Amino acid sequence: MTATTSPPRRTRTGEPPDLSTQSLSLRRRLANRGMMLVITACIVLAVLPLGLVVFEVVSRGGGVMSWEFLTADIPRNYRRVGPGMGAAVVGTLVITGMAALLAIPLGVLGAIYLNEYGRTTTLARFIRTMADVMTGVPSIVMGLFIYVTWVLAIGEKNGFGGSLALACLMLPIVIRSSEEMLRLVPDELRQASAALGARKWRTIVTVVLPSAISGITSGSLLAIARAAGETAPIIVTVGIIFSANPDPFSGGNTTLAAQIYRNATLTFEGAQERAWGAALTLIAIVLLFTIVARFIAARFALKER
Amino acid sequence: MTVNVRGKVLPLLAASALALGVAACGGSDPDGNAGTSDLSGELTASGASFPDAYYQVAIEAYAEVAPEVVINYNATGSSTGKKEFGENLVDFAGTDSLVGEDDPLEPGSFYYIPTVAAPITISYNLPEAPDLQLGQEVVAQIFQGDITTWDDPAIAETNPDVELPATAITIAHRSDGSGTTSNFTTFLDEATESWNLGSGDVVEWPTGSQGAEKNTGVAQVIQQTEGAIGYVDLADAEGSGLVFAAVENLDGEFVLPTIAGTTAGLDGAEINEDLSYNPLNAAGAEAYPITAPTYLIVKASYDDPQVAELVKGFVTWLLTDGQDLAEAELFAPLPASLQEQALAQLDKIES
Repeated sequence: MTATTSPPRRTRTGEPPDLSTQSLSLRRRLANRGMMLVITACIVLAVLPLGLVVFEVVSRGGGVMSWEFLTADIPRNYRRVGPGMGAAVVGTLVITGMAALLAIPLGVLGAIYLNEYGRTTTLARFIRTMADVMTGVPSIVMGLFIYVTWVLAIGEKNGFGGSLALACLMLPIVIRSSEEMLRLVPDELRQASAALGARKWRTIVTVVLPSAISGITSGSLLAIARAAGETAPIIVTVGIIFSANPDPFSGGNTTLAAQIYRNATLTFEGAQERAWGAALTLIAIVLLFTIVARFIAARFALKER
Repeated sequence: MTVNVRGKVLPLLAASALALGVAACGGSDPDGNAGTSDLSGELTASGASFPDAYYQVAIEAYAEVAPEVVINYNATGSSTGKKEFGENLVDFAGTDSLVGEDDPLEPGSFYYIPTVAAPITISYNLPEAPDLQLGQEVVAQIFQGDITTWDDPAIAETNPDVELPATAITIAHRSDGSGTTSNFTTFLDEATESWNLGSGDVVEWPTGSQGAEKNTGVAQVIQQTEGAIGYVDLADAEGSGLVFAAVENLDGEFVLPTIAGTTAGLDGAEINEDLSYNPLNAAGAEAYPITAPTYLIVKASYDDPQVAELVKGFVTWLLTDGQDLAEAELFAPLPASLQEQALAQLDKIES
């Protein structure tokens, strides 16, 4: 948009040109209205599945939701009707939390390297490509990789194995999204900081990161949300328990996603209800994370200070 | 280790390890005499989904006998259970089929402990015909895809009073490696002439059949597909509200899967030295022909004496008091003689 396109000129008197819709020809107005309708229909269509999913999960899972459902042990006998997803709630929080703890610092630091130091060096380009490739690796492959390299090596299925698999899945997403966010920070800010005498690390910590923190947070959240819903690597690496086990390093564990799979594939009414309840719980947890992280990001963003 | 012993770390470590070892050995002896209630620790197990309903109920009841023992049984299917046992991921495994050449287990490194037995039902979804009777050859022909519709003359022959619809038959089978599949196909292989798909944890089913994971998965396919037929353990079939056929036994009688029919089948079974046995197609007018045994696999020797004590404690209870819970969950308890042999086998575990 460097060259100015000539605006519609009607008068020479300096009167502003008429830019309202009325001045357009009928054909253009119809086309405008028509396309508007099409894209509105598209957004409605795109939101429809989301709305239906939320409606279905809330209406089916809402019935069993209670404090007891969130805290009680999972019934061993899956034919029993009644509450209990406590072990899975604890497991989801512990395993996903541990995965986030592993993947997010590593991913953000990696992104800082890529954007602030590596830029277009061969190594940086290689890492970028590998991260893209890693994004496409199916989660079950990641689960089997951890099973072979970690679970078999330590001889026990535990929560940490699941965290490792999830961290491997989250890492490329965090790296790539954080890098994009860092790239959006204008170079003028870096130059201004340098002109004031700040060293490179100080520039990164006090100028670049705070400007990008909101975007980095949402990217990391996307990764957490994806990881929390992963089923295949959890089933392969984590095993199963029925009472809550907050220790990821010893003993089996379980997550809501794994329990949804397990219970939804059963024919018994109680199990079906628990699967819907677990689905609702999982969505609620992810939503809660999103809200909290948005709030934190807003507080720490540079422009707010 | 509160004393600062700089420079003498190695001998101290050695000494403390020794002391720990002695303490552990000393601790395990009185436990054996005092009964299971003093045990504490955690056991992980995985394997057969066929007896899962019973095991979970039993584990829950055992928690009242030994509140300090936590046991997690993961119904992964027999093949996965044997694999994980071989990889030392679990302390014991459940299986309905014997260890084969494909399983990563050294012969002699483990014992079979039979626990319960149960009938495998031939469940189907055909609302028009709730009480079918199926001959053994007919079952084989249905499951290998020779009979494709429900109104086939072969099915009609044993069900003269039933008006059979022309619904197409959908075969539901296990997609994972399964002891239930093994027992079911072994029965067809041994009992019928038409069966030509072989036997094992996994067999090659006809094209167009539907695979599902675990007994509950097969039950789900049958429940949701009209015209479907599959093999499911009695507890899961009853729990899912499935209809099942009366199957012809060796004496030519059509028998519904019941606990009584299973017990009748167990009495006629010959027991091998390793305590594996084959109750399939046993003689007797009451015996249900497709009766499956199920075993726990335990290590011949455990590295950790505490784990050995825990396994012995739980399995002993399962073979004695735990047997009383079986019938309520639609499993048949072991005959007294086999129960005694199983207990003797359990005593052979070393630590």
